[in-house]
Amino acid sequence: MNAIDTDIKADEILDARGLSCPMPMLKTKKALKHLQSGQILEVLGTDPGSKNDIPDFCQKGGNTLLEVEDVEEGYTRYLIQKG
Amino acid sequence: MNNTLIQGITEEIKQGYQGAFARKWPAWVGGILIAVLALMIFMWSVPWGIAAGYKNWGDWTLYLAGIQSARPDLVPWMHNLSVSNIGIIAGALASALLSRQFAIRRAPGLEYAKGAVGGILMGAGAALAMGCNVGGFYTAAGIFSMGGYAMMLGLGAGAYIGLRYLLWEMEHLPQKTVSRMNTDTGAVRVRDWKKLQPVFGMFIMIAGIAAFYTYSAFDLTKIGGLLFFGLLIGIVMHRSRFCFVRAFREPFMTGDSDMVKAVAVSLMLFGFGAAVIKWNWIQPPEMGVYHPFWIGSLAGGLIFGIGMLLAGGCASSTLWRAAEGHTKLVVALFSFAAANPLTHALINYTGLKTALGSGYFMPEILSWQIALPVFGAVMIAWVLLAGWNERTEKFVIF
Repeated sequence: MNAIDTDIKADEILDARGLSCPMPMLKTKKALKHLQSGQILEVLGTDPGSKNDIPDFCQKGGNTLLEVEDVEEGYTRYLIQKG
Repeated sequence: MNNTLIQGITEEIKQGYQGAFARKWPAWVGGILIAVLALMIFMWSVPWGIAAGYKNWGDWTLYLAGIQSARPDLVPWMHNLSVSNIGIIAGALASALLSRQFAIRRAPGLEYAKGAVGGILMGAGAALAMGCNVGGFYTAAGIFSMGGYAMMLGLGAGAYIGLRYLLWEMEHLPQKTVSRMNTDTGAVRVRDWKKLQPVFGMFIMIAGIAAFYTYSAFDLTKIGGLLFFGLLIGIVMHRSRFCFVRAFREPFMTGDSDMVKAVAVSLMLFGFGAAVIKWNWIQPPEMGVYHPFWIGSLAGGLIFGIGMLLAGGCASSTLWRAAEGHTKLVVALFSFAAANPLTHALINYTGLKTALGSGYFMPEILSWQIALPVFGAVMIAWVLLAGWNERTEKFVIF
């Protein structure tokens, strides 16, 4: 996994820690809806399923997954740029 | 020379481990392996199901709590589908540990409530349909019981209603998240634990295989075999994240059709294999066809479908997700197990049983020659519809 580039600033942060499938995916989709194209969403999650779901969703939905990082405290950060 | 051989083999083992427990398995690989294992279970003893195992656990819980007076016939380690469920939990737990993905995952309060209600609905739905997403849908359709198709429609409709609720909930019931910001020492503990996980995973695998030999030593090879098949199903389901809920939900949620294709391919393979087994009388043709067509299967599917959306797991994925450490799914597992025998008792008590329908064996009505292509056509139609929906998003409601 790539380390988060500290230069990238997220426009919105979605904290989905503790939620399991499908809630992280639903909330990600909802949050991306009201962002402008090019804006960046940061998602924090603990569900291992999200590691497959979020990249797949980004690839198929035309959004760009900029970074994925496993944080030492036991959760994962995703940076998604809306397409 | 000797050194390079050992180095080479060590390298191979490392790569094999990476492939099995680090890289993700495509859903369709999971689907094919599930079909093979379901066929093995069918030839070994009975058509595969999960809800009957939950019922055994629920029967015992209710008996020990003094709610049910009759002592269940079989103890959980002697009941065939209870044993295969235990195998699935053990296999998924071993797989999660070997993948370094096991963690006790706490959830916000509302999620536990959804797990409990979802479990109750699944337990009730599985009683009405005489089977869950596996026994009532997958196995039923695959062994040519008409109830499987009615339950399939019910599950689709239930998934739609359940998703509508989740969307409503997102707008109206904001949740607090569970933030566990550990101190520095906590982070070190997490790191050490991650290193140790595969050791525990290996230990569970070895214990599972030892249990099979123990059953065999007591002349119970048939029961022990189910534990072994369950173990493999648990690993396959966990690694490929094979999920029936996803197959029914995703066409309405993101439009993604991957899991629909995986389930349909799996079911087609299982169905044609089951036809070989039944048509050739390896197992009796009428085996396992009692699924109350169509009211019980359809209504059961609908209720089960809503429940699996709330819980975030069906009968099978509740087992492997609970084993991965999701405490919400542990709650769902318990409420499923308790609600299922209670609903069965209610159905018997009210005399509703005959009204729900009876088992119809498709080849008996249509002949094998027609039943086989009808079965294949339904599966292909499902795949094509889901693929078309992925491109057009016609059914996506969000």
